[in-house]
Amino acid sequence: MTGPPHPALRLPTDSAIVRRFLALYLPCLATDRLRRMEPDLPADRPLATWAPSGNRQVLVAVDQVAATAGLRPGQALADAQTIAPHLLLRPADPEGDARALHALALWARCYTPLTAVDPPDGLLLDITGCDHLLGGEAALLRDALAQLQRAGITARGAVAGAAATSAALARARGDNPIAVSGIEAAVAAPLPLGPALRLPPTMLADLARLGLRRVCDLLDQPRGPLARRFGQELLDRLDAVTGQRRTAIRPVLPPPDVAVVQDLLEPIITRTGIDAVLDRLLDALCARLRQAGLGARRVVLLAWRVDGMVQEVAIGTGRPVREAAHLRRLFAERLERLEPGLGFERMALEARATEPMAAGTQVGLGIDGRRDAATAEALAQLLDRLAQRLRVQRIASIASHWPERSVAALGPHATPPVMPVGWAAAALPVLLLRRPAPLEAMVALLPDGPPSLLRWHGGTHRVHWAEGPQRLEPEWWRDRPGLLRRDYYRVELASGARLWICRTGPPEATRWLLHGHLP
Amino acid sequence: MPPAAPDAPLDQAAVLAALRARVARLEGVGRAQHEAGAIPVCEGLPLPGGGLARAAVHEVLATEPGCGAAFCAVLLARTGGTVLWIASGRDGLLAWPPGLARCGLVPTNLVLIRAERWPDALWAMEEALRCPAVTGALLALAWEPHRQAGDGTLDLTATRRLQLAAETGGALGLLLRPDAARLEHTAAATRWRVGPRHAAGAGHGLDDPRWQLELLRARGGRPGGPWAVTWRAAAGRLDLDAEETASVARTGRDASA
Repeated sequence: MTGPPHPALRLPTDSAIVRRFLALYLPCLATDRLRRMEPDLPADRPLATWAPSGNRQVLVAVDQVAATAGLRPGQALADAQTIAPHLLLRPADPEGDARALHALALWARCYTPLTAVDPPDGLLLDITGCDHLLGGEAALLRDALAQLQRAGITARGAVAGAAATSAALARARGDNPIAVSGIEAAVAAPLPLGPALRLPPTMLADLARLGLRRVCDLLDQPRGPLARRFGQELLDRLDAVTGQRRTAIRPVLPPPDVAVVQDLLEPIITRTGIDAVLDRLLDALCARLRQAGLGARRVVLLAWRVDGMVQEVAIGTGRPVREAAHLRRLFAERLERLEPGLGFERMALEARATEPMAAGTQVGLGIDGRRDAATAEALAQLLDRLAQRLRVQRIASIASHWPERSVAALGPHATPPVMPVGWAAAALPVLLLRRPAPLEAMVALLPDGPPSLLRWHGGTHRVHWAEGPQRLEPEWWRDRPGLLRRDYYRVELASGARLWICRTGPPEATRWLLHGHLP
Repeated sequence: MPPAAPDAPLDQAAVLAALRARVARLEGVGRAQHEAGAIPVCEGLPLPGGGLARAAVHEVLATEPGCGAAFCAVLLARTGGTVLWIASGRDGLLAWPPGLARCGLVPTNLVLIRAERWPDALWAMEEALRCPAVTGALLALAWEPHRQAGDGTLDLTATRRLQLAAETGGALGLLLRPDAARLEHTAAATRWRVGPRHAAGAGHGLDDPRWQLELLRARGGRPGGPWAVTWRAAAGRLDLDAEETASVARTGRDASA
């Protein structure tokens, strides 16, 4: 009779690809970020961030110097200032830290398309199949740590066959280990519980009272009582770290459908250089798209700057495209947004949205039967180009009688709307004022009648002819309360100008507004 | 062959027509492929070529915003294809598709573009005219007087560029601008002035707008007008009011005399 095998002895059951994860632990992210933002801060003085906690002020994050001086997070601010009188203090900014972490996760996409944040101070990279580009996992890890170091961010790392295992190794060990897949439980066993499982301090203290200090101590315990005493959460974390429970990472960006990358030996700064790289990338991307039978709807140019910033330029197209010349024209309008700074060392093109596209759909100007398709294609390309810089709209009608609301703007590539009922029949203005303009003084013969005189553009105009009123009530089911009804008149002035004006307001204080120009 | 006698009756019309054809051949090298026919304006107007030439840029000066926009919409609708309406500046005036639909410009064919900066507007107009899929494009200049320096300048260079673009793409280009006192010379094929004309007798209602058209300049033709026309929306045509035209011309002559 055989019981369930010991977790440490279980062989990898993943029949598919063995995944590999790289975890980066950034212990001093908050203070590193501050030093990056304020380069004038003296490097030899301790730096910490603080936040109010209840009615006390406590440290939230400390840098390396401060930690050496004996400061630690959670300490009262007054105590810390006594211990280290030179302490530099800044208010904590958790949202800023989260943004910085997210930005770092985007930067890490230079190694793999699957990068995730591991809040509050970690990154997780799925480097399955990506390590050979830099000459192995160890080289990749070294490169990442060196890049972070250059950007002024303290980091430790680890590679393992499960995300949680690599994160635990990065936190609990300082030697940037690389663990082979399948022995997650064995490598996790000697790790101390605190950093490995990231447990709350109270639970950690309770476990320590029972003599449980390492992961292997927990593995030796029966699971039932552990779950009853400390909750399922503890066992879940334990299983994740020992590789029993595979957790998927949630990438900051979904992996692109098609991507091409170009590493640059020398950082490029000039527009000419960027154009040349872009040309090469576009040709490669379009070749890949053609192979895959796809057309791109959204293409993003990513540029990694020497100082660790990632810049993006995105273009969208109205229909699937894989014609390098067209994409190049679209990018040409946008490239000025890139700020090379000290130069770009790596550029990539990602097709983030693609659609299947039959071969040979993109022909030049066709003849005969292809004429319509070619015309539609030319129009779509024109609208794509215009939409990169300007607001391009098609118009649809909405079932509403309130003039401002009766049309809706569609995208440039929306299906052309059919002619709405009633548009051509009614005599409506050809030009509408975005905001109805008040007319200064109006004289009406009757309180409810049309005006006989109006002052407009500094001159007084006699009304020659008027038709109306057409009363429009506000749409109470959509409008905010208090909107007033309008009585519209079509008037012709003595000069011949035809205007669309309306009267609004309560009877004792009516106002006249100019709202449009009739043909 | 003896030289023609100096007093032999010359067929003046035939000679002129032959000369015009020759000049057109010289001028319009790339234009032959866009011979879809001129856009008819109004029955009875003596226009060179019978209407507004496609693959060319025309200027429309409007004394009032409404009639100018409507006149342009009528012409654009007659091109029978996709039309781009490019509004420049931060003008508060929006092209209003429900009203334009009455001029024949249906939303299926209409694309609205707003360009706040003047160079962008010119660029968009040029791109639109260059595109073979566009049959008509309109660049509407801002009505409001407070403009930045350089905005709305349509000089010879800019209009020449637009004209060349139109010859490439074959679209009808319209430049709708307020009627200003001073206008620089442009490369547009024709220059029109359109203004409202208030009805002589009351009681006609406002359904059929009446305009006064004037052809100020025409390349390869002579200016004409003013003509009194009525836009009959239901029938979709411009009618020439012969009597009123005569009276307008008379008052114009009296005023100039």
